[in-house]
Amino acid sequence: MDILNVENIRKSYRNNISFRKEEVLRDLSFFAGEGEILGFLGPNGAGKTTTIKIIVGLIRPDSGKITILGNSVSERQTRSMIGFLPENPFFYPHLTLEEFLVFCGKMSGMKGKKLKVRMESMIDRVGLARHKKKRLSTFSKGMIQRAGLAQAVIHDPDLLILDEPFSGLDPLGRKMVRDFLLELKGRGKTIFFSSHILSDMEALCDRASIIREGVIIKNVGLDELFIMGKGKVEVTARGYPESMTGEINQFTDSVKRSGDEMLIVVKRQEYVRSVIQYLLNNGAEVMRVAGVQPSLEEVFVSEVAAGENRNKKSITGELSRVETSV
Amino acid sequence: MARIKNIALNTFRESIRGKLLYIVLIFGVILIVSTYILSPLSVGAAKDKIITDVGLAFISFFGVMTAVIAGSTLVNKEVDKKAIYMVLTRPVSRLQYLLGKFFGIMTALILMVVAMSVVMGVVIVIGGGSITEGILAALFLSFIEMAVICSVVLFFSTFTTPILTFFFTICLFAAGSLSSDLRVFAEKFGSGTMKIIIDLFYYILPNLKLFNLRHEAVHGIAFQYSDILLTTVYAAIYSSVIIYFSYLVFSKKEFV
Repeated sequence: MDILNVENIRKSYRNNISFRKEEVLRDLSFFAGEGEILGFLGPNGAGKTTTIKIIVGLIRPDSGKITILGNSVSERQTRSMIGFLPENPFFYPHLTLEEFLVFCGKMSGMKGKKLKVRMESMIDRVGLARHKKKRLSTFSKGMIQRAGLAQAVIHDPDLLILDEPFSGLDPLGRKMVRDFLLELKGRGKTIFFSSHILSDMEALCDRASIIREGVIIKNVGLDELFIMGKGKVEVTARGYPESMTGEINQFTDSVKRSGDEMLIVVKRQEYVRSVIQYLLNNGAEVMRVAGVQPSLEEVFVSEVAAGENRNKKSITGELSRVETSV
Repeated sequence: MARIKNIALNTFRESIRGKLLYIVLIFGVILIVSTYILSPLSVGAAKDKIITDVGLAFISFFGVMTAVIAGSTLVNKEVDKKAIYMVLTRPVSRLQYLLGKFFGIMTALILMVVAMSVVMGVVIVIGGGSITEGILAALFLSFIEMAVICSVVLFFSTFTTPILTFFFTICLFAAGSLSSDLRVFAEKFGSGTMKIIIDLFYYILPNLKLFNLRHEAVHGIAFQYSDILLTTVYAAIYSSVIIYFSYLVFSKKEFV
């Protein structure tokens, strides 16, 4: 079941200098299913934060439809299903962490003992139990980020929307957030988040949507990355005689030597057994066998670069058409 | 209702924990007490009347200034620093948010007016005077005037910067205090466009002279409770209309 459904969103702003309308989101559509972690990738200025602000109701789209569990986000009650952590959050500095979370819980319709129990458990979960009586004005950036995560989940929402949730966190904090998000996913929560830290995204996401200039240019399932590697397999071996390298060339795309070690990229999965057998028969030791797959970063960079090339070509094409007509 | 109360409580807490209110309160208390100390130097007026007159004027002045200064940053600061995201991304309407802000700052003002009134009352009693109904009515109307000013500040703070909000509200306060005189001024034009314009201003601006009962309180002049009731109803309607306009502006606002 789709928890978040974004359909054909358009948004434009008037340029303050030229007074012309500039479209920042162009027919943007994507969805996130139940218990799914969807990453949202894009270069700076691609429209990530605008999209997120539209989903949480801080900005209105010019056209298009956004639903959460089938309910329109323009309806106030729909927002009780969302937990939101903005990029570089700022919280009321005059409140203590406890007061802040109680405030957030009450604003989401919680009250009484249930809220108190939930507040205590969330403070523990984000590792801020020692600081719960301190004012937020004394918190470091990482602590604010943890507090932000706690306020986003205080009311146990079905959908979490996180804008750069790893920003400002130390390695322990990042691990805590990763574990927490996976735990929430395990409980069937849907998580939609943007991040520039692609290793975290790769470790967490089921899918990633890549946005560029206000359009989704690619939806990548993380399980598709192996297919994107075209079924190639990397074999690392040691002790194979240098003179015999040529004999396995028919099965391989490339063979690279580094000292005693050799990295072999096998053309197709079905050749792997033959290559390994061949290596073992010739006294080599097989160290590692792994599928070749591009990293999310490589996919992201190549997609964005491909988009830029397409733009350049279309501009060049336009120019040559203009020149011809002249 | 619970959400409005929650936002109001948070705003009240912010005002109380901020330093501005304390500074204003301390200044107010010092000035009221100094009136008591300096009043023997005045000639021809009863000591308690001077204390009452100056005390009521200070309470009104500091109350209005607090409403303007604290209110100027009321919405703007939260928008600029993005603290508002934590509220508006929850099931809270923008009207609830504005009402919460309004009632929060009003609660802080009640506390401040009560504290300064108690100090003034003590000073009056020590000076040999007594707390009259007129003084209480004047204090009440001062507070009602602060509510009107607070709604005006809220309106400006939904679409302009804190400095401009401060400037516009002070201008409106000055014009509102003179609006009765505007009517007299308009009469001099007889008829014509200028009269229509001045009349329009008269009806748009809050008539703040209505909230000034200090003269009656100081000199013990009788006043009508019905007038106070009517003035309160006028303030309630005026503030409600202004808050509604604030909502109309705020509901269109996008947090880019």
